[in-house]
Amino acid sequence: MEVLTGSHSHGQGHETTFAQLVAGRLGIPIENVAIVHGDTDKVQMGMGTYGSRSGAVGMSAIVKALDKVEAKAKKVAALCMEAAEADIVFKDGKFSVRGTDKSMAFGEVALQAYVAHKFTGEQLEPGLKEGAFYDPTNFTFPAGVHVCEVEIDQETGVTRVDRWTAIDDFGTIINPMIVEGQVHGGIAQGVGQALLEGVTYDKNGQLLTASFMDYTMPRATDVPNYTLGFNTTPAPSNPLGIKGCGEAGAIAAPPAVINAITDAIGHEDISMPATPQTVWKALQKARKAAAE
Amino acid sequence: MYEFSYHRAGSTRQAVSLLSKKEDAKLLAGGQTLLPTMKQRLASPQNIIDLSKVPELKGIEQKGRNIVIGAMTTHAEVAGSSVVQAAIPGLAALASHIGDPHVRHRGTIGGSVANNDPSADYPAALMAMNATIVTNRRKIAADDYFQGMFSTALDDGEIITKVIFPIPGKFAYAKFPNPASLYAMVGVAVSKKGAGVRVAVTGAGSNGVFRWADAEKALSSKFNAKALDGIKAAAKGLNSDMHASADYRAHLIGVMAGRAVAKATAK
Repeated sequence: MEVLTGSHSHGQGHETTFAQLVAGRLGIPIENVAIVHGDTDKVQMGMGTYGSRSGAVGMSAIVKALDKVEAKAKKVAALCMEAAEADIVFKDGKFSVRGTDKSMAFGEVALQAYVAHKFTGEQLEPGLKEGAFYDPTNFTFPAGVHVCEVEIDQETGVTRVDRWTAIDDFGTIINPMIVEGQVHGGIAQGVGQALLEGVTYDKNGQLLTASFMDYTMPRATDVPNYTLGFNTTPAPSNPLGIKGCGEAGAIAAPPAVINAITDAIGHEDISMPATPQTVWKALQKARKAAAE
Repeated sequence: MYEFSYHRAGSTRQAVSLLSKKEDAKLLAGGQTLLPTMKQRLASPQNIIDLSKVPELKGIEQKGRNIVIGAMTTHAEVAGSSVVQAAIPGLAALASHIGDPHVRHRGTIGGSVANNDPSADYPAALMAMNATIVTNRRKIAADDYFQGMFSTALDDGEIITKVIFPIPGKFAYAKFPNPASLYAMVGVAVSKKGAGVRVAVTGAGSNGVFRWADAEKALSSKFNAKALDGIKAAAKGLNSDMHASADYRAHLIGVMAGRAVAKATAK
């Protein structure tokens, strides 16, 4: 089974999640599903991957295409097994004739669809290739709560993210590991924004943070192990009930980190990135204010 | 990187001879500064003399009350040396936190000391322990050797062969790394040998490693972190950049000095 998709994957694991959806629906081994993306010679139209649309929109299009594939395959199975199309039941990867022991696996039906030995071209157009487009009826509205705990070295202003607990509602989850990975990456990006990353120019407009020797990217040691949980309320706006998960961590992390810092030091005026120097200065101010 | 000719020296004598004969020649130790600089085309020596196959430049040994480290000994070798760990554990610890594992397995003590990067870790150790830099020509005391940022007492054609560390009673180094590069933004090394206390600061000074006299004086009367209470480093002459102002660096010098003393006196 080859799936051509206009939703491009650059690390989000579409090859896995999309294949899981197709394999589960058709009852075939996941390794028999090839996801093709990013090849403009094969994929005619695509608008990229952004705004967490690959699950909610891209996979909805795959669902619609699979609906068409199943409908066509039912016609093929009916002709092959000399039964009425209405009597064909598709379950667990098998097309069977209701009330009989006759059945065909998806692979057999697919083969017959192409070789067309059991029916004529007048009865049914051979082939088993369908396409679909999907335009969602509404946005999806993921929601969640992220709790960040920090420890601040009062002498140096160094902030260490100690613990992270988050519950998100992304609707239906196809692959929990990949969704967790998206949240991990999002949090790391958000922690980077809150504590480390900042583009700096000098008075003459010369970029000072022109290399990673000066621009601080989050590293593995800058983030803790995360405790993540999911609440599942299916989205009403798409057939799978999926909500976007790509942005959650990056949206939640900066305010969570900064709120933790202001809570810890009792001083509200902290700008991002809250570098050691920035936090140290804020600590000085807070101490001065407390002394007055 | 521009084109250059590569020469592999088999002995210090041969390296010295190549250095004098070849035009615009540079010595290659671990290459952790020279090679990136060449790749960025900030340096373009015509001749490179590789010291990695000079056997007499390598190795660590204890000679009486001294630890002698060959110039081409890598940071990882110093960090992992049972001789260093037993005699000057703080030096092994310092070496184990230079750069990253790749740097520690290529970079050498001689290269670091010859380069005298103002943010390098080793200069603070050499200065604090009053180490002696041995070259193919002479012996130079650390106090005379470090002459400002990227500047040393080495003459043309002079090659560091080893560094001699008199084993101190106590030694430790505390580093506050630059958040991006992880070089020392402020690094403080403290040592105590007999009645003598030395405190050396790297990363902070706009003219490279320096000794902090006020802290030395305070610690000479009592070698514990409390002795530094109320002693403040001056911000004048310190680096100020987007990561740390001179004031913040001055503050960190005090904090790191206290932590280094605490480490040095920890049982």
